[in-house]
Amino acid sequence: MTTDNTALIKVRDLKKHYNYGAIKALDGINIDINKGDVMVVIGPSGSGKSTFLRSLNLLEEPTDGSIVFDGRDIVNEKINLDEFRERMGMVFQHFNLFPHKTILENLTLAPQIVKGKSKEEAEKKALELLDRVGLKDRASAYPVQLSGGQKQRVAIVRALCMDPEVMLFDEPTSALDPEMVGEVLEVMKELAKDGMTMVCVTHEMGFAREVGNRVVFMADGNIIEEGTPEKIFDHPESPRLKDFLGKVLEA
Amino acid sequence: MTISWGNIEKILTYGNMFQQGLIVTVLLALCTVFFGFFLAFGLALMLLSDVRPFRYLEKVKTDDINKKKRNDFIAKFNPVKLIANCYVQFVRCTPMLVQIFLVYYIVFGFITLPKFTFFGFIQFERFFPAAVALALNSGGYMSAVIRGGIEGVDNGQTEAARSLGMSKAQTMYHIILPQAIKNILPAVANEFVTIIKESSICYTIGVQDIMFNVKSVQSATFIIAEPLLMATFLYFCLCFPTSKIIEYVERRMRQSDNR
Repeated sequence: MTTDNTALIKVRDLKKHYNYGAIKALDGINIDINKGDVMVVIGPSGSGKSTFLRSLNLLEEPTDGSIVFDGRDIVNEKINLDEFRERMGMVFQHFNLFPHKTILENLTLAPQIVKGKSKEEAEKKALELLDRVGLKDRASAYPVQLSGGQKQRVAIVRALCMDPEVMLFDEPTSALDPEMVGEVLEVMKELAKDGMTMVCVTHEMGFAREVGNRVVFMADGNIIEEGTPEKIFDHPESPRLKDFLGKVLEA
Repeated sequence: MTISWGNIEKILTYGNMFQQGLIVTVLLALCTVFFGFFLAFGLALMLLSDVRPFRYLEKVKTDDINKKKRNDFIAKFNPVKLIANCYVQFVRCTPMLVQIFLVYYIVFGFITLPKFTFFGFIQFERFFPAAVALALNSGGYMSAVIRGGIEGVDNGQTEAARSLGMSKAQTMYHIILPQAIKNILPAVANEFVTIIKESSICYTIGVQDIMFNVKSVQSATFIIAEPLLMATFLYFCLCFPTSKIIEYVERRMRQSDNR
């Protein structure tokens, strides 16, 4: 684990318990996320990966522990949470686009009402980013008119429109038809290449190996093993990870 | 007792009274739903509010699990929600007739309303208390519908909006309400139909709605059955087409979801 002081997000002893400790979704997570990291979180279902990711922008309120983002403890200090969330983009498994708004409105709403940008400014940026993911011609469509892969690309762009410092991906390809997974991963690869700090929960082992610079293996609410993709995939140490990789890579 | 054409023809000469009753009934229902909706909306927001004066107790760290449970229980206390809940339960668990009498004889027993008529025949000092009582009642019932409509919007929408940095109020206004309104409007329209029927008990405080005029015609002509049939016919003709229209609009709205 790297522990230099420049870490963008420092997670310390993060716990999420249900029923007064009867269920431990997160059981003391410690990790630093540095600027420019592409951290991929893998692990069996129910291991707490998603809970961990959702805790990072406090969609899930941790029971205990601290998350220091850019020098401030967002769990324990009294802070304006909305300001911090604005700096962390999030992409969901089920896209969660706003169905009553067009694609362009989806992208420009938050920049306008949260950041106070003008409509022209917000639309200019949105169209620029839409163009980069190849969906500029769908700007006036509604989310229901788009395929799953297109929706997810729009969802990524929606988060990017807020100029986030970190992007959190919660199983972004799990709800997609297989032939659409590629187009979404391609956008994520582009992002990683541009130096975006990313934390990504995924089952795409190929993506983890190719794009991630750090891979974290979680099980039972703990981080079991962490390291470079080579270390995790080619030289796994713990039996849990070996067992997991055996099952996943076989399929 | 017999029903004869002769009697029907006789009461048709009082058609003017039935017509006035019809106008009062519809007007009463419209006022009720209009004001009831705002009350219900306020109540729904209260029911969904997150005002917890003792929420800091959640954060208190203690190793004693019973103490922790006690703290969490107190932290859940939400006075705003409690007030709204008490109100809704009061409305649901007492008879409408009692509520109307409470409003008319007690509340407006202390407040003196100006006596005047509007539209030429509607007595304000009777119409107004009736509208208030009905609105208070239907607001209580509709609050559950509105809360359901808001809660029916997928939680992912809230999460997405909050993750973009929108505040709670912004999320509610820009994301949740526009979607919830589709769930809510048909139910509110149905409440209008319900109120048309339920407002018939307002004749007990002298509001000249359809039922009141039935009584008047009965006592003027000593004909009992036919005025009642007339009222039945009128109520049915009001409610049946309205509910059919609502059904149609609702179906159209559902289709437009798949645009």
